[in-house]
Amino acid sequence: MATEHSAHASKESLGITSAPLSEKPAPAREVKVIRRKLNGYVGFANLPKQWHRKSIRRGFNLNVMVVGESGLGKSTLMNTLFNRNLYSASSAAIPATEKPSAVEIESLSADIEENGVRLHLTIIDTPGFGDAINNTDSWTSIVSDINNRFDTYLEAESKVTRNTIADTRVHALIYFIEPTGHSLKPLDITFMKQVHGKVNLVPVIAKSDTMTEEEIVEFKQRINDDIITHNINIFKPAQFENDDDDTILSTQDLIAKIPFAVVGSTTAVTTADDRQVRGRSYPWGVIEVDNEEHCDFVRLRDLLVRNFLEELRERTGNVLYENYRTEKLKKMGIDQDNSVFREFDPNLKQEEEKVLHEAKLAKMEAEMKTVFQQKVSEKEKKLQMSESELFARHKEMKDKLLKQVKVLEEKKSQLEKSKTTTGDGSLQPAQKTRKGFLR
Amino acid sequence: MTVDQVGIANLPNQRFKIVSKEGATFTLMVAGESGLGKSTFVNTLFQSTLKTPVDNKARYKRGIHATVEIEVTRAELEERNFKIRLNIIDTPGFGDNVNNKDSWQPIVDFIDDQHDSMMKQEQQPARGDKKDLRVHACLYFIRPTGHSLKPLDIEVMKKLGTRCNLIPIIAKADTLAQKEMNEFKSRIRQVIEAQDIRIYTPPIELDDQASSDHAKSLIESMPFSVIGSGEDEIEVAPGQFVKGRQYPWGIAEVENEDHCDFKKLRSLLLRTNMLDLILSTQELHYESYRTLKLESAETGSKRSRRLHNPKFKEEEEALKKYFTEQVKAEELRFKQWEQNIVTERHRLNKDLEEVQATIKDLEEQVKRIQLGKK
Repeated sequence: MATEHSAHASKESLGITSAPLSEKPAPAREVKVIRRKLNGYVGFANLPKQWHRKSIRRGFNLNVMVVGESGLGKSTLMNTLFNRNLYSASSAAIPATEKPSAVEIESLSADIEENGVRLHLTIIDTPGFGDAINNTDSWTSIVSDINNRFDTYLEAESKVTRNTIADTRVHALIYFIEPTGHSLKPLDITFMKQVHGKVNLVPVIAKSDTMTEEEIVEFKQRINDDIITHNINIFKPAQFENDDDDTILSTQDLIAKIPFAVVGSTTAVTTADDRQVRGRSYPWGVIEVDNEEHCDFVRLRDLLVRNFLEELRERTGNVLYENYRTEKLKKMGIDQDNSVFREFDPNLKQEEEKVLHEAKLAKMEAEMKTVFQQKVSEKEKKLQMSESELFARHKEMKDKLLKQVKVLEEKKSQLEKSKTTTGDGSLQPAQKTRKGFLR
Repeated sequence: MTVDQVGIANLPNQRFKIVSKEGATFTLMVAGESGLGKSTFVNTLFQSTLKTPVDNKARYKRGIHATVEIEVTRAELEERNFKIRLNIIDTPGFGDNVNNKDSWQPIVDFIDDQHDSMMKQEQQPARGDKKDLRVHACLYFIRPTGHSLKPLDIEVMKKLGTRCNLIPIIAKADTLAQKEMNEFKSRIRQVIEAQDIRIYTPPIELDDQASSDHAKSLIESMPFSVIGSGEDEIEVAPGQFVKGRQYPWGIAEVENEDHCDFKKLRSLLLRTNMLDLILSTQELHYESYRTLKLESAETGSKRSRRLHNPKFKEEEEALKKYFTEQVKAEELRFKQWEQNIVTERHRLNKDLEEVQATIKDLEEQVKRIQLGKK
């Protein structure tokens, strides 16, 4: 939390695009946080319990995708995991007489309730994977199905009204490895690399009852080497320092068993010591599905349901989906604006408002000034015009009158000449007209 | 857990574990006039001094132009290994002016702004580090007048109720006698109903008797009455301390359900309904803001930012005044000018008249000469 608070200042300086206020470097303000450990009981520590209750009311959901060549016991394992007949008997793999054209995507759902807790389960099956002679493109329909599910979610999330978004994203992909005892096949590696950035990848060794304990240990080792060599990300539950020792130990144990070697069976068989168990009966003994000594089935169930279902979902939503979305939006040309991720600061807000206010004030002033100057100059022009009109008219009239005077004077002097008498009508000199502004 | 169980029964425990690890973010807003014990309440609720009440000198200094400023107190509290990032949004000075018109606007804007900010953050391609100050609960402090809600209260509560989980509170409940309190409460409830003010109501889960009984008892007590208490606890019996206020006639205890509803309010805010407050903020208030905003964006209308600082208004007024004066000065100059033109016209007319007189004079002279000639 401390780092989160202090980190925001530096983040702001990244990728500032449009916000006009961010142009100047944001002043680094320390966000003050009061830290206290309470002695008494106030009650907010009850929130996880409130969540517990709420989660029961809301129910859970899980979408598992299963991928693997046919005949590896995918449907049996799913039926065993959820302890019911999800796949009806008829849908059991019909030996392919004709070559399947492409990988199909089939999904089947079930609502399972246990002690009042409901789970809406969807299995997304991919029959036909790896069955063709050339499997170059056998993963494309799987990858595009995973992407489509992300796209559907993204679309729902961007809607104007979005009540509850149905989550159809793949929360876990169980990849079935053929128990060859060698190592991963090229198709395994190629496929896993295609999907490991989009799903929580859970590789399992199918039908592990065909391998001896030693073989399994060696096979697991080789698979893990391959996974490391090829940089394949597989799902591993997070470990926390604060967990109690038992949890840490059991999580470590679970991680150590990856990839899980599993056997599936929904049929009850009788063991040598006369117990009824789910398992497979061989002349040399009974392999018990739910026996941790015999196979890793219990671990797989722990990972998928009992202990880490919510973690699978969280990682799908918070990491895998977010990465997909980020890339998709960036490809669509949407620019990242990091200036929106900043801590609310009343001072900063006031400063912003001040800048806005000053801009508004300046605009107001400019507008008023323009209007004012325009009005003033209009009025000035009007007055100057009437002024010059006045003078012009006066001049015209006066010129006309002076002409009359001249004519009369001439007439008079002619008359006087002819009469040889001298008149005394002397003329006043015309007053000089004034020009200019009268202010 | 038996062998044939899948393990679904354990899923709520996983949720519990994840939430315990992650902690939570909770934002509480306290609104109301100053002097109603908002800070004290926050401190009592969380049993720690998070807010130091403004000392009275500072209150005085703020003077007449008290702006409603938003104040954020951030805290990280831990109890029983569970951490919350707590944000207290305080609105000092609200309702303290003589004219309180629009004084609530910054509070309403703050709530909207937080929704807006969340929307903008959500829309970014990479959005890992979101800053969330959306208000999960707004405690509205009502002055214990014993009368009813004031028009300002009604106006503000209407605005708040549609934007966040509004929880009305009667402050300083120790100033009202039991009967007065009951009457006051019922009058407030009537006004809330009559004015169609939306307040937060805990959901009643009919399939859970204990939970629905609890929710009903909370609803019946609304609006909650609270008593503030100082830092120190009062010793009621040797070695036994309570939070409360000591009067000559007795002690008003904060955590006594007969004295006030503090415990019920605390239960609602933290112990039983905190998650519902958080989720309804996200799923109801935030979603409705978002929908409205997107719809209005589609139709092209845009909310312009309102500025409330009274100083800004003053500056605008001053600017307008300056121009008005300039206009007046110019008008005076033009009047003078027009006057001058009139005077000049007079003078020029006179000038012409003089010339006309000369002409008349000359004409007469000519006539006379002509007559004399004959």
